[in-house]
Amino acid sequence: METQTFFYDNKIVKYFINATLLWAIVGLVAGLFVALQMSFPALNFGLDFTSFGRTRPVHTNAIIFAFVGNGIFTAVYYSLQRLCKARMYSDLLSKLHFWGWQLIIVLAAVTLLAGYTTGKEYAELEWPIDILIALIWVIFGWNMIATILKRRVQHIYVSIWFYLATFITVAVLHIVNSLELPVSFMKSYPVFAGVQDALVQWWYGHNAVAFFLTTPYLGLMYYFLPKAANRPVYSYRLSIVHFWALIFIYIWSGPHHLLYTALPGWAQSLGVVFSVMLIAPSWGGMANGLLTLRGAWDSVRKDPVLKFMVVAVTAYGMSTFEGPMLSLKNVNAFTHYSDWNIAHVHIGGLGWNGFLTFGMLYWLIPKLYNIKLYSVKMANVHFWLGTLGILFYAVPLYASAVLQTLMLNEFTADGFLKYPVFFETFSNLSPMYHARIIGGILYFVGAVLMVYNLIKTAKIGSFVAEEKTSAASLQSTHEHVVKEDWHRVLERKPVRMALLALVLILIGSVFEIIPTSLIKSNIPTISSVKPYSPLELHGRDIYIKNGCSNCHSQMVRPLRAETERYGEYSKAGEFVYDHPFLWGSRRTGPDLARGGVVGSSSYKASVWHFEHMKNPQKMNPASIMPPYPWLLEKDIDLEGTAAIITGMRKLGVPYPENYEATANNDLKIQAQAIVDELKKSNITIDGNKEIIALIAYMHKLGADITTK
Amino acid sequence: MENNNFDENKYGKILEGHENDGIQELDNRMPFWLTFIFIITFVFSVAYLVLYTLPGATTQEDEFAKESAAYDTKYKSTNNSTENFLVLLNDQASINSGKDIYTKSCIACHGALGEGNAVGPNLTDNYWINGGSFESIYNVIKNGKNNTAMMAWGTQMSPKDIQLVSSFIESLKGTNPANAKEAQGELYQE
Repeated sequence: METQTFFYDNKIVKYFINATLLWAIVGLVAGLFVALQMSFPALNFGLDFTSFGRTRPVHTNAIIFAFVGNGIFTAVYYSLQRLCKARMYSDLLSKLHFWGWQLIIVLAAVTLLAGYTTGKEYAELEWPIDILIALIWVIFGWNMIATILKRRVQHIYVSIWFYLATFITVAVLHIVNSLELPVSFMKSYPVFAGVQDALVQWWYGHNAVAFFLTTPYLGLMYYFLPKAANRPVYSYRLSIVHFWALIFIYIWSGPHHLLYTALPGWAQSLGVVFSVMLIAPSWGGMANGLLTLRGAWDSVRKDPVLKFMVVAVTAYGMSTFEGPMLSLKNVNAFTHYSDWNIAHVHIGGLGWNGFLTFGMLYWLIPKLYNIKLYSVKMANVHFWLGTLGILFYAVPLYASAVLQTLMLNEFTADGFLKYPVFFETFSNLSPMYHARIIGGILYFVGAVLMVYNLIKTAKIGSFVAEEKTSAASLQSTHEHVVKEDWHRVLERKPVRMALLALVLILIGSVFEIIPTSLIKSNIPTISSVKPYSPLELHGRDIYIKNGCSNCHSQMVRPLRAETERYGEYSKAGEFVYDHPFLWGSRRTGPDLARGGVVGSSSYKASVWHFEHMKNPQKMNPASIMPPYPWLLEKDIDLEGTAAIITGMRKLGVPYPENYEATANNDLKIQAQAIVDELKKSNITIDGNKEIIALIAYMHKLGADITTK
Repeated sequence: MENNNFDENKYGKILEGHENDGIQELDNRMPFWLTFIFIITFVFSVAYLVLYTLPGATTQEDEFAKESAAYDTKYKSTNNSTENFLVLLNDQASINSGKDIYTKSCIACHGALGEGNAVGPNLTDNYWINGGSFESIYNVIKNGKNNTAMMAWGTQMSPKDIQLVSSFIESLKGTNPANAKEAQGELYQE
């Protein structure tokens, strides 16, 4: 048997660890900041790049793609080399991957704050960055698969199955959801519109949770948990069943983000049932993690690494039970658009991803630096701060969700909404919002302690960049075992396994996306619905740019409490020209779908919008909306009109031939009408200011199909 | 795994040849309760698809129609009898209740004292854009005024509430608050 000596690349692991720690702090600070803005709107500072609509996506992107992303890569680059008994395929690819990913993060932060966004949650980045992400992701996959192919072991371990599924699925999700038509540098429109765009977005959005926050972290768990506990994995069979079931079922469940919306009923139903069927495959992961610790519970009590991991896996179990419950339509009718979802995702984010990352790092850094952890006591303090932080974060938000939704749904004895002014329902929430901030601070302080503890550990330890090891080459051990079951055979064929995973995730995708796009009856057309005017299109872009959909929905559900409050419920045919759809997912402010229906309670006159954008509290003393004074100063990009019109026409919006040449004339006429109207209230403003376009857009919303 | 004291009788048989960087795997079956959960959710799903998705199943639009019908039967009798409320209320208790409603919903555009601002007109003088009688005030609040900032409150305020707030507004006439907006509309004399 030929034994080969080679070196593990620990340096790249160290890089990813450092990035994970850095972005953890940045992402948590951003989170604290947006939480503070919810309690103290003055912290929006009246500036565009510090207002909530811009900062909130920075927080979500920093946590998901920067913190968890680098956490994934830390785990993969460390465990893959050891599980394959091979160095990473290419040091150059490793470096390109590392620096490329960090570049994406920096570009993301800068462009999001500057207002370059597609408006699609967790896919906000504009097209040049989308292309860069695709390239770097391919480099990651290439490096990973090439390493697997040159491995010195026959069978690939369950962690690697999860890594492969992650790579394949994220690639598919990212590419399909980023199919967009660039109209200028840093501005694009998605090829899908309205209902289809919503379905594709939440197919992506949900599976970003599944294949970015879940499957790679299950792979991480399968490596680091048995390692840290020094116990064998509870059940190999369970690994197989829950892995395949999980990836097959997960991909279908995206529509549960769109229950009671204008999405066709059959697609909603699929979202419901596949979410419910996810309980068992998800709990399979939890069970295999927790049951691996049988006989090791003594060490769990002492070892902070295991403590973090146990809470992480438990949080995963809680989240994956809660998720399916929230996917039941009657539950969802109550919780959707509320703080419940915010609490839910933080159980997953802070508990599952955060704690599993922390557990991994507390185990990994002493290993890499050949020394004991600087302070176990400090790690224990971190554990308790973090655990309390999660509770203080989530429990108040569950309470606020229940309180606010009950108020929104309450009728008086006469059948009128008890709290017709939307922000009345916020009046009781501030203690909960303050408590949430305390939760965030506890969690943050814990993370800072960890960074300090780990830096101290690294300082006293000695890092081995090139870890010498040896293993028998694969060729020399090629004595085929006589009889292996089918899955054992598959584990020797990583490419085949990856392709099988691809087929499985494509089934649900194709089944949901293709009919929604091709079968006409799914989106009944409404002849009175007309394309946006040039001024309204600009207004829409301004709405997107300022992140309005982070707080405002444009989707009235067919529920009496909503139709009473906002007006006629939304129909699929209303959104056929909406590239992108802007239905939103959380109502921190009221729904705007009927903002253009004159005489409805959603309708506000131009002068109201004008005063409100300047100072929301003037029109609505209880409002927590930040001011948007720059809308009164910035000019509409008239030179961009032609490109926008041409782009929309290419996407199927029926603007007449050559309309782009004269579009600005129509724009100016429409703008002048608004200027004249404002003048009646003694307001003088130029017709080319952004506020004018935004008012025009507000007055278009929902106006095409309803009178009142 | 370099774990010599692992008790296979207690925790399960270690699978031969399953060793990855020191991690071993056990030959345990799936926990029965997990299979059980899956079967239940699967049965639920089939039933759900049959009940809510096949042609003829209840749609969310059907549900809404049902909810709306129930709503209408429950509230219709009390909802639409405006005539009974077209009466000015002069007692202090009513005016105070009207003031509460005014403070909640009206001050943004008409000012805390009815003095008016950039958005809404002065409510304390004798000039009215849409008529100054109690009935006119009541109806403008109820139905709003198209293409102006005045929205229709009839869907949000009960007839009683509109009566109260109209009565409060009547009580503002001639109060001459500071910063009052210039007169708009026609002179109205009672």
